[in-house]
Amino acid sequence: MMDTEYFINAGITSPQPLDFETITSMAWNALNSEVEQSLLTHSSSVDQYSHFESAFSSMLSSPSPSTSGLSTDAFVLQELIGKLGGGARNSGLLPPSATTVMAGGGYCHDVNANTSDSCYGTPLSSPPNLNYPILDQVHAPKLGYSVPLSPLPSFSTDPGFAERSAKFSCFGRWSFNGRTPPLAGINNAGLLPRASTPVMENGKLSRISSSPSLKQDESQLKSQELCQPRNETRAPINEFVSDFNEKSTVSDQIPVAETGSKFSNELNSRKRKPVPRGKSKEDGSTLAKGFEGDDDANIKRSKSAESGKIENGTAKPEEEAVDENEKQKTNQKPPEPPKDYIHVRARRGQATDSHSLAERVRREKISERMKLLQDLVPGCNKVTGKALMLDEIINYVQSLQRQVEFLSMKLASVNPGLDCNMENVPKQMYPLDSSAPAFLNINQLHNPTPNRQPSQNLSPGGFGFPGFGEGDLLSIFQMDQTCDLKVER
Amino acid sequence: MKERMQNSSLKQEFLKNWIKGLQLHTNFNKNTTILERRKAIKLSADIAIASTRNSTTRWSRALISDASRDGSNKTLIEKISGREAPRKDSFGLIRCSKKIMKRSRVTRQIRARKAVLPSVVGASLIEKKLVKSRTRALKRLVPGGEDMDEISLIKETIDYIVSLRVQVDVMGRMASVADRLIPFKSL
Repeated sequence: MMDTEYFINAGITSPQPLDFETITSMAWNALNSEVEQSLLTHSSSVDQYSHFESAFSSMLSSPSPSTSGLSTDAFVLQELIGKLGGGARNSGLLPPSATTVMAGGGYCHDVNANTSDSCYGTPLSSPPNLNYPILDQVHAPKLGYSVPLSPLPSFSTDPGFAERSAKFSCFGRWSFNGRTPPLAGINNAGLLPRASTPVMENGKLSRISSSPSLKQDESQLKSQELCQPRNETRAPINEFVSDFNEKSTVSDQIPVAETGSKFSNELNSRKRKPVPRGKSKEDGSTLAKGFEGDDDANIKRSKSAESGKIENGTAKPEEEAVDENEKQKTNQKPPEPPKDYIHVRARRGQATDSHSLAERVRREKISERMKLLQDLVPGCNKVTGKALMLDEIINYVQSLQRQVEFLSMKLASVNPGLDCNMENVPKQMYPLDSSAPAFLNINQLHNPTPNRQPSQNLSPGGFGFPGFGEGDLLSIFQMDQTCDLKVER
Repeated sequence: MKERMQNSSLKQEFLKNWIKGLQLHTNFNKNTTILERRKAIKLSADIAIASTRNSTTRWSRALISDASRDGSNKTLIEKISGREAPRKDSFGLIRCSKKIMKRSRVTRQIRARKAVLPSVVGASLIEKKLVKSRTRALKRLVPGGEDMDEISLIKETIDYIVSLRVQVDVMGRMASVADRLIPFKSL
């Protein structure tokens, strides 16, 4: 029955030259209300949708006589629909581009007519089936007005469009991923699919630079550079990440040595043991006051589990590392009382027991750090699950340690020469600050000419890099020669 | 880009420390076997990389304290790290207390295991066992890891991996430089 509707409308297609822009905006407005309703109702009718798009494609294939401009756009839109159709089987979010097609085909009045049960009963399938690619494509018109939609000026003119599309995906995301805050965590751009929409993630944090790339091929470096810039707002339960955020300057620019010091700070302020009951009552009251006090200022800290606090007033809420407190203090927050507790909001449908909350916080800490490790250890991205990842980590650490031993053996085998160097050329090795990079660059040169004979090595232009004094090199080589001559075994 | 520079500063520091240690060694022993040399090189390298952390991380402290157990290394450590080798007492006490705790925990675990005999071993149980065994293995790998809880273990592992990579990188470069500078290797 609905098919007939579509086809009839296709036939009728607006003898009146409807302005394309107005149509689309009207249709989009109408559609928004529809879709929002449908989002709320969660009606699932995937079949409807497939009918829908087949109808569209058929409509498009027969170019409407009304607006000639459509025919050129129709191809573009058809592509888009094809793409969307492929990706949208499972999800139900109606792509906005579809509306333009409908509008173009003069279909919009049908939209207005049928409120809830038209094809716009936009099939929102059950949450787990939400297809992220759809979201990306939903964003496409907003974000870049990427290729398929570029010939359509209407999108750019519609101001609310961006907000609404944003709202959709945000809303969808919240309803579907109700459990997890919109924290993309510390991810690579490509690590997890849910990190794909930069619009939504106000809590998104870039990858923390405790994983500096040491690889010579710099593949990791590139991936780091791709990271999104860090946002200031933090997700609720994330003091670990917030530690890094606070202490690091901008995402990937933290020196590795500093991470060491940061570790130490966190290590020093260890997990406090549960406060004895007598104390906690006072603490509870101060907490309440303090909490009200900084509520406005305190976007970063998660809200307290009020129920948990009140019920378990004696068994106090969690206090993990106190770094966040210290930091908050040093940050412009003087009025904040020295709190020892991390406030955690109990998630919906989960126990508000203080123990379980503590467990949850602990688990999330661990998972955040495991993600960091994942970035460090190559080949860990594909692996999911704690056990497998730990396996990979262990293998990696073992291999690194073995490499160190092997290299030390190798160096021991050539050591006589090295020893001579070390002895006789101490001054020239330092000042390392200036020359070390050059020294280290020796290997990067990868001279095509294997200068095996020392005489060739002595030529000043042999290595040809400016930093290292050529005189130094020469002296080293000379030492080598003498050492080689000396060592006769 | 900046990160690379900072990384290279770490490498430089490691290299500096390491060469200091090597120099010390060569000053003391002229004729050594290859095995001794290897040991010395590795020791210098380990102490060098640990001292880049300035005792801020546990693994570095554990590494240095392990090295300083052997009395002959004390001068080496002092020279490299530029500070006094940690006295055995402070770390020893900590270790003692942690070991006592651990022992009691182990006996508790044994008792628990004996008490509970699950007829059906679910997947989650298996996974838990796996995770536990692997964390134990990781603890053994990371220096000083035995006394750490899980969260700090992961932190330490991250730092340790980074330092290991620096170590491998610099040593590898040194090895290839040595390859070039000394065309005829002599054993």
